[in-house]
Amino acid sequence: MAYADDLLQDARHLAARGGKKPKQSSLRRAVSTAYYAAFHLLVADFVANYRVAGERPRLGRMFEHRRMSGAAFEVKDRQNPTPIEADIKKMIADFAQLQKERFEADYNVGRSWSPTDVNRTLERAEDVFTVWRRIRKEKLAQHHLMSMFGARHD
Amino acid sequence: MVMPAAVRQQAKIRDEVRALEEELKPDVIRIRWDIGEDWRDEWAIFFRIVLSDDAAQHRLREVAKNVEQLLAERLDFPELGVFAYHNFRSESEQAALQEEAWA
Repeated sequence: MAYADDLLQDARHLAARGGKKPKQSSLRRAVSTAYYAAFHLLVADFVANYRVAGERPRLGRMFEHRRMSGAAFEVKDRQNPTPIEADIKKMIADFAQLQKERFEADYNVGRSWSPTDVNRTLERAEDVFTVWRRIRKEKLAQHHLMSMFGARHD
Repeated sequence: MVMPAAVRQQAKIRDEVRALEEELKPDVIRIRWDIGEDWRDEWAIFFRIVLSDDAAQHRLREVAKNVEQLLAERLDFPELGVFAYHNFRSESEQAALQEEAWA
């Protein structure tokens, strides 16, 4: 199983730890891990295109979290997006929310996490996996992945 | 930083959210929101959605997706100049946590 899938499974275990009275620390780690699962899913796909396998981990470390969610994506006709465009839009929205949750889980100790919110975060991460695996070979999806890495548009 | 259209259109947002709240009962108990900057310093609208215990425990994905989708349909977030974030908790979780922002 790929590293990203392992992380997603870890996130589920962390969320379930403690049963009906989970510790905030477990919930926070579940949220953070769910984000990193989605992050590594995308990074792994990006670096897989690099021919020199030994350099891929270094390439993966060049990703910047803020840039990844800020990458612009324009739908040609906002009222009628194509199925691929709709998928990419959904993935962008889910990924950005995961990033926000991870930031708060890691740094905002004043926030109380509820199991419902954590479960919804896990669902978002699962959706990123499902959507990305459906569209990852599409030219538009690969183009957006390049943008998430920081490449400029033509 | 330039104010987004959402700041000027809060009355419209309030009306749309209230109407949706009514429409989605009994799964949705209430929807609270505010506008601010997110961790990236981008303008955002933050929704806090309290669900019934039944919806949260048994139909979370379905109900949450529906709420998110309907909010996006009723409020054109790109036009409003904000990115939308949605957080959820159940009625009993809110009863235990007693957070004013969710009340």
